Amino acid sequence: MKHGRYPFILSFLALPVGLYAWLVILPFAQAFQISLTDWSGSSNSFDYIGFDNYVNLFKDERLVLPALRHTGIILVVLPVVTIALGLFFAFMLNLGGRSRQGRIEGVAGSKFHKVVYFFPQVLSVAIIGILWKQVYAPENFGGLITGAMTAVGLPAPVNGFLADKRFVLAAVIAVLVWSAVGFYLVFFSSAMASIPRDLYEAAVIDGAGRFQMFFRITLPLLWDSVQTAWIYLSIVALDVFVLVYMMTPERGGPDGASEVVGGVIWKYAFNHGEQAFASAVGVVLFFAALTLAVVSLRFGRREQIEF
Amino acid sequence: MRNSPVFNRRNLFGATAAGLAASSLAACATSGSDDDAQEVTVGDDAENPFGVDGSAPLDVVIFDGGFGNEYAVAHQAMYNEAFPDAEITHLATQAIAETQQPRFAEGKPCDVLDNSGAQQIPMDSLVSDGELAELTPLLDAPSYDDPDVTVRETLRDGVLSMGTFNGEVYALNYVFSAWTVWYDAKLFRDQGWTPPTTWEEMLALCPTIQAAGIAPWTYAGQHPVYLYDMLLILAGRHGGVEVLKNIDHLEPDAWRHESVVKAAEALSALQSEGYILEGTPGIDHIQSQTAFNERKAAFLPCGSWLPNEQAAIAPADFEYMPMGVPYFEGSVQPGLISAGGEEPFVIPKNATNLAGAYEYLRIMLSKEGAQIFGDTVQAATVVKGVELSNPAAQATDQLVSNPDDLFQPRFRFWYTAMSDEVKAALGALASGEQTAAEFIDRMQAVADETAADETIDKFRHDG
Repeated sequence: MKHGRYPFILSFLALPVGLYAWLVILPFAQAFQISLTDWSGSSNSFDYIGFDNYVNLFKDERLVLPALRHTGIILVVLPVVTIALGLFFAFMLNLGGRSRQGRIEGVAGSKFHKVVYFFPQVLSVAIIGILWKQVYAPENFGGLITGAMTAVGLPAPVNGFLADKRFVLAAVIAVLVWSAVGFYLVFFSSAMASIPRDLYEAAVIDGAGRFQMFFRITLPLLWDSVQTAWIYLSIVALDVFVLVYMMTPERGGPDGASEVVGGVIWKYAFNHGEQAFASAVGVVLFFAALTLAVVSLRFGRREQIEF
Repeated sequence: MRNSPVFNRRNLFGATAAGLAASSLAACATSGSDDDAQEVTVGDDAENPFGVDGSAPLDVVIFDGGFGNEYAVAHQAMYNEAFPDAEITHLATQAIAETQQPRFAEGKPCDVLDNSGAQQIPMDSLVSDGELAELTPLLDAPSYDDPDVTVRETLRDGVLSMGTFNGEVYALNYVFSAWTVWYDAKLFRDQGWTPPTTWEEMLALCPTIQAAGIAPWTYAGQHPVYLYDMLLILAGRHGGVEVLKNIDHLEPDAWRHESVVKAAEALSALQSEGYILEGTPGIDHIQSQTAFNERKAAFLPCGSWLPNEQAAIAPADFEYMPMGVPYFEGSVQPGLISAGGEEPFVIPKNATNLAGAYEYLRIMLSKEGAQIFGDTVQAATVVKGVELSNPAAQATDQLVSNPDDLFQPRFRFWYTAMSDEVKAALGALASGEQTAAEFIDRMQAVADETAADETIDKFRHDG
């Protein structure tokens, strides 16, 4: 039996590993190879130029450096805000309500809220982009937020939020949060459902309030879920592209104020005809994502509690 | 029971990946065969000057944008009339770079490519990589309609310059268009306003326009490139076309020329005087054109395709009329206008049916071919003598009647980094975010950088 084991296992693994190698590993490997050349992307000839692309990348004050800064900001803000809101809403919907005869429930209408919050998840990113572009439009052109702000007497940016260097990045992040929060609400809700109720009931009997329940019971027991959400949102943050492409002036404007790494890769690859340089930026992004995942898995590790 | 498998998950994975990578790195995107490209020469047969093999298939890719692709289908029918056995592959798409760039990289490009739209493959990189066929044989060939006249002689003046890179023609820009300033002739008539010819007249008229509850100007704020020709032609009219040539040739301090500074200041002043429709920097071209159709603004800078594009949308009594950008008093070349060929058709050097591709372009440039285009999309081609019925097109023809005044500022098409920078800088200038001096400084900086960068191929007007 043992004798025929490896061929048997290998026969199962060959296809998936082969596909994975061909469709995932090989393109990655090629990106490394291409990043060392001067390939334009529209020719079949190129020369190897060593690490020049990598050196130039960190000198590019117009696109790459602003993009790295902006992606860095998104990387910090998006997970924090999304997870905080997701946890808050999930807690309120599951455990935040008044306790009736010792039973702990969510706020009134929590099922309805869950569906509503999940809504953005159902829309495709392209639709979200178009929708919010209009919401952020200048007041003169039917902008919802600018119009509402003026109506209540607040100063609104006259050219809308997306054409204003001060607000454009925050506006994009707000849409990202808006569209992600529903998913994490459901995600955290289901994780909360697996926390035994008697823990809460015991806490209530001991006189714990909602804050204590949240910080002493819910959060520690959800740590694994939070960590997963963190990594996933970080990857989303590194990959931000479509919304910037759809919503912002000149796909990263105005004047580069919402340039992100994904968008810069696209610009170099297809607008500038510098595939090799774009590949170098891609490789940097790849290592950033890898480092991030490793770091958060290593340092976020906590003791497991079984129940 | 311990076993130590030879293959654990990790090293199996690694070994496979390494093996695959080693064996197939050589066989992927970057490794198409570098065939020796054939050459097309002009033969004696006026019917078939390039010696097309009638049975060879032809692969045509059309940008499916504002002009659609109906005209191309008609051109292909003409090709099939001449070569009934040729099988034509027709692809109409907006994703030119995404679909065609990999084919170039593979060394198996299409035969005829309409390289247009937001997703065009950058011309500078195609030309520098030597991926395109030179079009002189086409221009020297006898025209489709008259064997005694060459194709070159059937074209309007100056339309080849856009596709000319250092003296060699690599693109046939098929559509003739001009960048002008548009106004609604009916609105001006009803209000008793005279369309201004000078910048000063325009400024004098602005308060009157505002008094009627209309903003004088709007533009596509999210795509500041719509201001590119307006600003440059304003400067070029004032200082003469040499000012613009110096900019295109990356001459030191070309941007600091007083005419350019004056034009930038004038554009900036439109904003600071409040002569631009509020919110304009935040809108795209569709919104600005809609605002214009709704008569919320009096002037809109755009290309000559605008009235056709808006025909079905604008109010029935809207009368699109073009004028040159109002020039400063004392301008040395007040007739200068940005006009010429757009919509570049190229033939890849490695095209399979090179002769067929040249023949296809020759058919496009025939009288019938150009008329088909004119009839389907109501726009002029670079072919002389196609009559268009609408008054806007006739007025545009007036504006471009002097060949010496036709000039297309080119640096945006030659140097992608400058293209990016000028768009961002124009946006900042016109929205009041930056001053004219800052605009000039940043454009001069990117021009100097481009000039100093030896890895960038440099181009010049007229070789």
